[in-house]
Amino acid sequence: METRTAKAYDVVVIGAGNGGLTAAIRVLQAGFSCLVVEKHNLPGGFATSFKRGRFEFEASLHELNDFGSAEEPGDIRILFRELGVEDKIDWIRIPEAYHLITTDKKYDCVMPFGAQAFIDKMEEYVPGSRQSMTDFFALCNEVRDAQAYSSSVNGNTDSDYMKKNFPNFIRAGSYSVNEVLEALHMPKAAQDILGAYWCYLGVDLDRMSFLHYGSMVIRYITRDAWMPRMRSHEISLALEDRIRELGGDIWYHSPAEKILADAPGKITGVQLTDGTIIPTRHVIANCSPHLVFGKMLDPAVVTEPMVRATNARTFSGRGFTLFLGLNKSAEELGIQSHNYFIYDTTDSARQYDMMRKVDTNHVQATVCLNNAYPECSPPGTCMMYFTTMFMSDDWGNVSETDYFKAKDRVADDMIRVFERETGCKIRDAIEEIAVASPTTYARYCGHPQGVIYGYETAGWDSLMPRMMMMKEDAQLFPGLRFAGGYAMRSSGYSSSYVSGDLSGRQTAGDLKREVR
Amino acid sequence: MKFKKQIFGFMDMLRFTKLVPNRRAALAAGSAEPLPTEYRTNTLAHRLHPGRMQVEVAAVRPLTESMTELTFRRLDGDAFPFFRAGQYVSLQGPVEGGLVSRPYSIVSSPREALQNKLVLGIEDAGFFSHHLNRGVRPGDKFVMTEPSGEFHYETLRDRPQIICVAGGAGITPFLSMAKSMIEGDEPYTMTLFYGARDLAHLAYREELDALAEKGLKVVYVLSDEERPGFAHGFVTADLIQEHADINGSTFFLCGPKAMYDFLAKELAPYALPLKAIRKDATCCGALELDAPRTFTLTVHLRDQVQTIPAREDDTLLTALERAGVDAPNKCRAGGCGYCHSKWLGGRYRVADGRDGRREADRKFGFIHPCVTYPLEDMAIDLPPAE
Repeated sequence: METRTAKAYDVVVIGAGNGGLTAAIRVLQAGFSCLVVEKHNLPGGFATSFKRGRFEFEASLHELNDFGSAEEPGDIRILFRELGVEDKIDWIRIPEAYHLITTDKKYDCVMPFGAQAFIDKMEEYVPGSRQSMTDFFALCNEVRDAQAYSSSVNGNTDSDYMKKNFPNFIRAGSYSVNEVLEALHMPKAAQDILGAYWCYLGVDLDRMSFLHYGSMVIRYITRDAWMPRMRSHEISLALEDRIRELGGDIWYHSPAEKILADAPGKITGVQLTDGTIIPTRHVIANCSPHLVFGKMLDPAVVTEPMVRATNARTFSGRGFTLFLGLNKSAEELGIQSHNYFIYDTTDSARQYDMMRKVDTNHVQATVCLNNAYPECSPPGTCMMYFTTMFMSDDWGNVSETDYFKAKDRVADDMIRVFERETGCKIRDAIEEIAVASPTTYARYCGHPQGVIYGYETAGWDSLMPRMMMMKEDAQLFPGLRFAGGYAMRSSGYSSSYVSGDLSGRQTAGDLKREVR
Repeated sequence: MKFKKQIFGFMDMLRFTKLVPNRRAALAAGSAEPLPTEYRTNTLAHRLHPGRMQVEVAAVRPLTESMTELTFRRLDGDAFPFFRAGQYVSLQGPVEGGLVSRPYSIVSSPREALQNKLVLGIEDAGFFSHHLNRGVRPGDKFVMTEPSGEFHYETLRDRPQIICVAGGAGITPFLSMAKSMIEGDEPYTMTLFYGARDLAHLAYREELDALAEKGLKVVYVLSDEERPGFAHGFVTADLIQEHADINGSTFFLCGPKAMYDFLAKELAPYALPLKAIRKDATCCGALELDAPRTFTLTVHLRDQVQTIPAREDDTLLTALERAGVDAPNKCRAGGCGYCHSKWLGGRYRVADGRDGRREADRKFGFIHPCVTYPLEDMAIDLPPAE
């Protein structure tokens, strides 16, 4: 193969996903040169949109949490402000938190934003829940403050300071969501309703760390969620634009095939599939360690601890999304909420188990974007997207010739369940349809098995120890850091922006130390 | 409030201090087996979506005086990917110093693709297709994109009965759709109206007659010739209603724009919803301008910069092709977004009704070169073809 050596960069970012784009801006803001290489012809990774007929579909974003208003900004709005992209994007506020429906216990609950409103509503649905809900939010506030402190010191927390200022955080910190809610004596029904967000993190509440869940819930409920007007593609292009403004380069249709290194920790460059070599000593990988240590690095520089640490981890959910453009308005169809969670059962561990198999999975997180932004599609129409995950590689059993039918079967089931649970008849109104399977996600973003949530944040690999070991993990291969869904902050939009922020700033720190 | 899980709060604290040692131990205890290099789902993704393929012509067959059939085999893989009947591929080859591509609907079925056979029926109607009709021999090599496009049946959207209307060379996707139905991969029943000038211009009659014996319903319509057993004139609503249920079907149309306009008028009284009529896209051609000017297009491609001439009446994609630049493109109709490029400067116009860009693309200055014409000197940042 012909090889051509391009000019050298201080940092090469592999993948223009949420984490990679953010990391690149941080590197550039610190005054270092940066090239982003992306296999697809668009920035954003999952954060994109696509058109079908008269509809422009959101590819993945349900709502951006921890964003807040301009006056009371959340952490992500503050980050966007620092990155210089807040004002490049038109923002829309999401009206309500979520609409939970469960088949087994017949829950049908619409929960609002705002801690007080949320507690009041819960008291309406579950009389006697007020005290435990109030305690829950107090505990979550402490979790958020402790995490803010942890981030401010780059994970190098002082344990005496922690014990003194965040004692509840530490005492609750090693337990699962269900263990903590029990300890708060929360009525079971309130636990059920409060647990609705679990599919956003992809781990059942028996195994999900309370700290992780609590920090997400408080970010949703107290700082409300927002959405860019032009779908998440608007965020991705705003970040892309900022990279260009800061003098960074971004190459599309440029899949990185190899990370070149002389020895462990001694990166010399990145090689693209067409043979082009870009010299660099620092790589930020917006892709999975499985790909980096298993395929991109030469086996000679991959040590046993790297292999063990990567093999030890568990892939999270494989994504499946159905997109519908409907030729009737949400009002005509009776679709009242923006964001539905529909579960077979409130028992998240049992539900997780059912999600292992394609045929037994009926979970859906479903959005009707028009109920947040009525003008997102032409008058008299509306758009919906239905997302689920498979908690095993069962989808990998689909054959090439059954592929299109297999997608239709899952999509058909999603429509059936939505119609049954909400009473809204949408099938005859389908004007445009698109289906993204794990195969689709594997195709566009290259993630193993079509995983969309990175590594599972369950048990020993939950969010808190990951954050506390951030520095240690980066020592595994100096010069290489991760951003995006597989990085320390795990998956989701906000988390990916934060991991990009952390890895970008830390890489800039590495470079500054080298200069000194 | 004071949270406590165990009787003594310090026991909770102790557990917390074990989080890091536990994780450290778990990471060290992972398997030392080599990491996987293949994943099934990714392997299937690559099978279905190989990107650009190296192909060669296996057979050439004249269909009519103005249409030629080319059969391809893939050289860089065992077989073509399975696809949805109705989809197209884009074929790219060198012509007269340029590097030209055009999209063509696939004639062969998805099952035939698995036998490493992909057939295109190409009407002699333009620069590249003229070359394909006259100058191609078995063994000639081309680059072909993977099958793409949304002109295909959707089980959850469309009616079980479909009415297909072909005008001239627009017959090609329907051969694939009919074969796929008969091979059991599509659930619809299909009535095909095939309009052509005269008998001599009907391509694939033998094949269609054979498919008709297996369940395809086909009605030939000749505009310039009267013949027993053939309808005469155009494909009118009355003719369609004679053979099929207009209100109870989904329409698939493939042909010239004049045919789409004619059918829109014919079907207007039936007040069909938008979803009931699917139309195949047509290539975006040159503008008709008197004395078109020639501008300079500055093309940034990764770290390389070059300037090329760009005629006012040609799309930017055509200008790139004339200059021999290997530019990404598939549909050439503004819709697929594969040529998505960053606009860096210079005024332009987008072909009428073909602005398929996303909303944010317009805001942040991205263009689809396949439907964009320059109005002055321009500069763009173009991704490599693949």
